[in-house]
Amino acid sequence: MSVAVATPTRSGDDRAGGIGAVYRVEVSKITAQLLPRAAAVVCLVAPFAFTFFVNTQSSVPADSLFGRWIHSSGFSIPFVVLGFAGIAGFPLIASVVAGDIFASEDRQSTWKTVLTRSCSRGDVFLGKTFAALTYSTAMVALLAVSSTLAGVVIVGRQPLVDLSGSLLGPGKALTMIAASFGLALVPTLAFTCVGIYFSVATRNSMAGVLGPPVIGLLMVLLSLMGSGVIVRSMLLTTPFDAWHGLQIKPIQGKPIWIGLLVCVAYGLLSLDAARRSFRRRDFAGDGQARLAWGTVARGTIVGVAIVAVLLAGSLLDSTWITSQHVETSVAKTLSNLVAVQQGILGRTVVPSAVKVYPFCKRESVISGTSSGAGDDWTCRLYVDGPQVGRLAADYSVTVKPNGCFTAEGQAAVIGPLHIKTPAGGTTINPLSAFDGCMIPP
Amino acid sequence: MTDPIAAIEARGLVKDFGEVRAIDHLELRVDAGAIHGLVGPNGAGKTTLLRILFGLVRPDDGEIFVLGRELDATEAEPMREVGGFVEEPRFYPYLTARRNLELMADLDGGGRERIDQVLELVRLGDRADRKVGGFSSGMRQRLGLAASLLRRPRLLLLDEPTVGLDPIGVREMLRLVRTLAGDGVTIVISSHNMSELEGVCDAVTVIADGTSVWRGSMDHLRAESPAPAHRIETSDDRRAMQIADADPRVHAVADPDGWLTVSADQAALDAFVVRLGINDVAIRRLELLMTALESMFFSLTGVPASAPSPVAEPSSEIETVR
Repeated sequence: MSVAVATPTRSGDDRAGGIGAVYRVEVSKITAQLLPRAAAVVCLVAPFAFTFFVNTQSSVPADSLFGRWIHSSGFSIPFVVLGFAGIAGFPLIASVVAGDIFASEDRQSTWKTVLTRSCSRGDVFLGKTFAALTYSTAMVALLAVSSTLAGVVIVGRQPLVDLSGSLLGPGKALTMIAASFGLALVPTLAFTCVGIYFSVATRNSMAGVLGPPVIGLLMVLLSLMGSGVIVRSMLLTTPFDAWHGLQIKPIQGKPIWIGLLVCVAYGLLSLDAARRSFRRRDFAGDGQARLAWGTVARGTIVGVAIVAVLLAGSLLDSTWITSQHVETSVAKTLSNLVAVQQGILGRTVVPSAVKVYPFCKRESVISGTSSGAGDDWTCRLYVDGPQVGRLAADYSVTVKPNGCFTAEGQAAVIGPLHIKTPAGGTTINPLSAFDGCMIPP
Repeated sequence: MTDPIAAIEARGLVKDFGEVRAIDHLELRVDAGAIHGLVGPNGAGKTTLLRILFGLVRPDDGEIFVLGRELDATEAEPMREVGGFVEEPRFYPYLTARRNLELMADLDGGGRERIDQVLELVRLGDRADRKVGGFSSGMRQRLGLAASLLRRPRLLLLDEPTVGLDPIGVREMLRLVRTLAGDGVTIVISSHNMSELEGVCDAVTVIADGTSVWRGSMDHLRAESPAPAHRIETSDDRRAMQIADADPRVHAVADPDGWLTVSADQAALDAFVVRLGINDVAIRRLELLMTALESMFFSLTGVPASAPSPVAEPSSEIETVR
């Protein structure tokens, strides 16, 4: 005997929703949920609150890049926000939706509802992934817009001195802000992919949402442990600093490309692991997975082992921050700043006409070559140029492991913190203290 | 000769979860257009079987054809013409019933125009704009059915559809099932309650310990069923036992609490009751303990897992065509 089986018919109802349908459904769900909405409100309101608060204070966050300009130019606000967000903010923004987008179906026991519709698992995976990436992109864009608006509205549209000591007018500043946030978006999307992996693998919303920021913080801590190039390049938080390269002349593309490659590697590996896990999974029960102590312990052991290896590598890796790098960078920035200062005073000076002869060393080094990050660098800078004549200025320089530095000079030589403009106004003396960044080789 | 067309045909289906074998060489055939009952005690494997049919779980072994398409064990994908729900239907609690259905329709690529119709069908029209988070279990059950009907499935799989419903809801759900079957939809209903399926199903598969222990039409099941069991309270249980023992058609067991459990067909039970009266034994209470089908269910599902399955040697009438 033979088996007679019903054959499927094709009708209008047989159309699959596909990736686009899943994407639209996920976006609808995201916009209806409290946490993503709350995060969006924070991205919108926090820069205004921050700017308003710091403008009521007399002091400035001078240890942050552009922090000293916070009262002087509204365009400094987005860069300060960018610096803060790169520590843990962007990973957290990335994981708000990504870490929950798969695990929430477990929490609400709705996998059986979604997967018994007309979309394949591949469609569901890609639709959810694109929705999470969209949310992260939207939040980074929102933060860029809100911080810029906050700065411009509350502080003003004054020109900003960039990390190379050059003056950025409003147009260039806006372009630089857009490009910098664009670069920060890349690692944010990579963290989104990491969040998706956590969400799929743990099936637990809390682990999914908290996993990426915890990893981000660990990476930030690791990056503070040493100033070697190899381990630093492997960390997903390093590309958050890639925008520094945009403000150095000529523009430093190497950290941007390396960062891009690192982000793509993290993103693809995370997504591939998540996709395999999702496709293989049997949806045999309801409810959110409890984090078993055994699983947590195994994960912790693996995490500690990775951190230990990276830490050892970081400490063993020789530093790229040498006195030669510091001298070159500080001298170039100062020559630009002298031209800026003279411009503020109503005098025209071409930066290339200003010669700076630097001698930098660490106070803690008795003999031998100075190198590495630290707050004990001192630079004696001999300046020779039109309008300024010849002068020697001593600066105390703090060099951070990521190559950025803060230089503070003596008022007796370089003038007071604030100087008067020919129009009678008062502005910050760009030579009194300045920030800059060195780019790893 | 060709048998009726099969909407579902499963052969030698196996599914293990770690050390536990949830489905053990299960055989299943569901004729197209029929209402087919899947009965078995809790943990028998009914829900796992439905999850396999939905593509939520991949079988480890065996073949399974759904609406003519073989399910690929390596790619658990949903069947577009299969609707229904497994275990209690769940929805997004922060969305309204209507919004949930709109999202379901979007995932299907169409069906929004039927939302009002299906909501009315399951008597949720007046609750359509309330958030599902506040729904009772029965309301979610009905919403699950509404979601299943959005895309006009050819095969409807309903897992314990009457759980959480009040008696009126149960009656309406079963009436709806009959209506849908009348429209040509093949319906599979899983339940651990044989009596609930008795009036609605055309055929039934009894599952125990992950395997099918009996398959066939409802009529055939009735014919094969043992006598129903009644519980009787008399004025003289000892005398009543003696009267029962005298009739080979009646099997009585004394309950420690003072009851007699009597298994007998209708004619034998009538004669037994009359004889009790003739012998001055008063009947103080007589109640149906178990219907014939329930008796059959218990006798089938009480078979130890190691014992030979009745499916191995089915009668020709209930044999699946191979």
